[in-house]
Amino acid sequence: MKESAREEILARLRQAPKMEIPARPVMPTPREALFDRDGLIARFTEELTRESGVVYRAADREEILDYLTEIARAESLTRIMMSTDDMIRSLDLPAWGERQGVSVSTAADYPDRESYTRAVFDETDAGVTGADFAVAETGTLVIAHGGNQPRLVSLAPVLHVAVVGIDRLVPIYEDALSVFYGGAGRIPPAHLTLVTGPSMTADIRATAFKGMHGPRRVIVILAG
Amino acid sequence: MKIDTGNFVRNAKLEMQNQYARTFLSLLPPYIAARRVKVMGSFPDPAAAQELSRAIRAEAVARMPDLLEEFEKNAIAAGARVLWARNAAEANEMILSIARERNVTMVTKGKSMISEETGLNDALAREGIEPFETDLGEFIAQQLGRPPFHIVGPAINVPVEEVCDLFMKKAGMQEETTDPVELGYAARLFLRDKFRRARLGITGVNMAVADTGAIINVENEGNIRFNKSSPRTQVSVMSPEKVVPTTTDALHLLRVLCRNCTGQSISAYVSIDRGPREPAEIDGPEELFIIIVDNGRSRLYHDPKLREALRCIRCGACLNLCPVYAKIGGYPYGWAYSGPMGQVLNPALLGLEETGDLFKACTLCGTCREVCPAGIDHPAIFLHYRALEVKRKRRSSGRWEAILFGVWGTAAAHSAVWRFLYRLARPVLAVFGKKGKIEAMPGPFAGWFGARDLPVPARRTFRDQWRESLSKQGGAS
Amino acid sequence: MGPVSLFIPCTVDFMMPRVGVATVRLLRRLGIEPRYHEQQTCCGQPAMNAGYLDRARKAAKHFIDVFGDDDVIVSPSGSCTAMVKYHYPELLGGEPSWRRRAEDLSERVFELSQYLVDVLGIEDGGGVFDGTVTYHESCQILRRLGVSRQPKALIEQTRGTTFVPMEQADTCCGFGGEFSYRYAFISEEMVRDKIGHYLDSGADLLVVSEPGCLLNIAGYLSRNNPEKRALHLVEFLAGPETDENT
Repeated sequence: MKESAREEILARLRQAPKMEIPARPVMPTPREALFDRDGLIARFTEELTRESGVVYRAADREEILDYLTEIARAESLTRIMMSTDDMIRSLDLPAWGERQGVSVSTAADYPDRESYTRAVFDETDAGVTGADFAVAETGTLVIAHGGNQPRLVSLAPVLHVAVVGIDRLVPIYEDALSVFYGGAGRIPPAHLTLVTGPSMTADIRATAFKGMHGPRRVIVILAG
Repeated sequence: MKIDTGNFVRNAKLEMQNQYARTFLSLLPPYIAARRVKVMGSFPDPAAAQELSRAIRAEAVARMPDLLEEFEKNAIAAGARVLWARNAAEANEMILSIARERNVTMVTKGKSMISEETGLNDALAREGIEPFETDLGEFIAQQLGRPPFHIVGPAINVPVEEVCDLFMKKAGMQEETTDPVELGYAARLFLRDKFRRARLGITGVNMAVADTGAIINVENEGNIRFNKSSPRTQVSVMSPEKVVPTTTDALHLLRVLCRNCTGQSISAYVSIDRGPREPAEIDGPEELFIIIVDNGRSRLYHDPKLREALRCIRCGACLNLCPVYAKIGGYPYGWAYSGPMGQVLNPALLGLEETGDLFKACTLCGTCREVCPAGIDHPAIFLHYRALEVKRKRRSSGRWEAILFGVWGTAAAHSAVWRFLYRLARPVLAVFGKKGKIEAMPGPFAGWFGARDLPVPARRTFRDQWRESLSKQGGAS
Repeated sequence: MGPVSLFIPCTVDFMMPRVGVATVRLLRRLGIEPRYHEQQTCCGQPAMNAGYLDRARKAAKHFIDVFGDDDVIVSPSGSCTAMVKYHYPELLGGEPSWRRRAEDLSERVFELSQYLVDVLGIEDGGGVFDGTVTYHESCQILRRLGVSRQPKALIEQTRGTTFVPMEQADTCCGFGGEFSYRYAFISEEMVRDKIGHYLDSGADLLVVSEPGCLLNIAGYLSRNNPEKRALHLVEFLAGPETDENT
């Protein structure tokens, strides 16, 4: 049998002359590493706000729900799909929805992938999700997807509301990603996303606007 | 993708007639370049940040075979299927058979430069599988049947009127509009339906992390996330040089890439896949194929100079600052890559025969080298191509130049010959002179005189003046 | 330190000898008596840029033979300086003894403003010019040699002179040697922009330190804006000639 493409490509690469690996410069400590909690919150808020995201601070469960109520009213939300991670589950949104006249569903409410897909694409006004980390560096959410954190809930609806515990606010990406890809502890997720504000484009005449394919608006509630 | 690198001059002249594109080019690149400088300033030490990204890319390319094997092992352990393709035909056939086996008739695609190289869209269409580019700019370029104008904004030069016509015809738009936002939303609506129905999603890869087997995509629109969330099968196509050693390296490159690419400190979305979806997930791909497409890389890897081209991270910073690109835009480069990036990559991947203009249409100003976060010395590579071409005696300008430089070389090594030849040449050139200047001259230098004069070569050269008088005036002042 | 040896590029020698003469006059005014090797030819840059490396090597070896014993070599061209300084060692990399000589020479060759300001600490060339002056940052001088502050300091220290900035002063003028005639249709547009920025700056004079750029810029002005002038930095610093040399 002919040599496989894999063997052929790798062999050819290995036959090539070796080249030196250059030394790496020492990088200064990132500024964010020195921030205290208030500094991190300020930085996160400033960065995300610049990308037209909105950041709220909520002290407890009640305040989180108050914000959601406010958002639901302002955005005329009637159908919400939520993730089922610990943070969101702790809010008991179905009960809240009943009080507010908002239907709240989870992916598990749909009998199959097709009906879930239809619902999240076409029949959902907002996705409400937790996030594993919030990164101050650039106002970024880190979301590890899985059974309780479906991929499309934070992507397909036009509004994404994320609730993140303040204890999950970290200075830089490395602080969050080393938890998943550090080789110890948690098994790396199949899919992880870094989300910084709404989806956007500037592909036509360099005119920038939000909401190209994903959410047009992103609201983050920092809890605790 | 059609290769049109051989018509550089014709296409450049054509593009320079395009007033709309020219206005655009005079505004956008300087704007992005300024944004880049500003956002690079958010690094505590921008120079060190650039030096580090250059070192990472140099290391990644130097260790490429080992890193690829490590990546493959870890990706397979995570449940991905890793396929290797020698060339475009093999890669396309792999994707076609994946599509056929799943009875797929339509695919959605995230931006992938390697699939532009392999002409995947045409290959799919020929087999009756309809491909939809889903990045807005790529979608427009695809529907217009044009190569990318700019790596970041593939259709950013297309007038809104043209986009409107296109969307009325091909994107189901109901009402005419020239508002870029409305046009964008029309495309959103059209492509959303494709995302919902797509059985197979195809993406490129920005980085493949060796020590985790993860692939990383960087985007703003969310189309790549859709391609990784909605279809049941995901095919991610990468060239071998996308591999980087670690997640930490990837994160630094990510910071540098976004800053250089769009002047953002981070793109709206970064998605990292390690294998197909987990069993508990309701969405995401049930199967993930990663196709590593060599397409000539392992061959050019043997040339230490050309190997440097593989460091490129496709950020486009070099395009935004290139003074030649600023005049002609992306089309004349005739293939997947344009600007200095294309002048380096297209000859490396296509060969020198039909790409001669790409490595000659350059003033060697070095702006690309200065800005490149991957540490590519573009001008040095152009000189290397020029030397290779001369070596192969395929200099397109013909034999006169080889003869000229032959004589020149002898003269440059013997000052008496050098002076003698000048004495011979000067009167010939002076024939064209009037009042101390030459306004036109036939022959190879004729181009100079379209908008410029030249001084008549001096009757008394500096050396003559030195001998006759200057040397004797020493100490006079 | 021994005498300063002049490296007068062929463009200056043949097309603009006045720039070489000005270099001598300026150096003498500053108390430096230069020497000039009459055997010098060309640094080899055109051959290297066209891909004729063996020809460029011939020129390089000749250059090293001619200048090899000099302590300081100064040139009114940044691209020729960069050729000797950075390209010779690589060009001759395959011949160890030549390579050593090239590396050794590399330390001793300077672009003129670099030599005056960085080595001698001279920022006042002793010239006089009444008017406003702007400066074009030639690519090799700026990006290869990292020289930008030096020529501007020399301009600013000239009596009667006010330095005015120019938009996109660091953008290539479109010369690029054979690029200028092979891709004239692009080159012309680039130099047109450059002149546009010069006119917009309102400066009375454009100063350039690179002979190639000067041919391009002055050639364009001669055709299209004959009322405006561009001078080489050394011409500007040396001031108008009082004797009959042309």
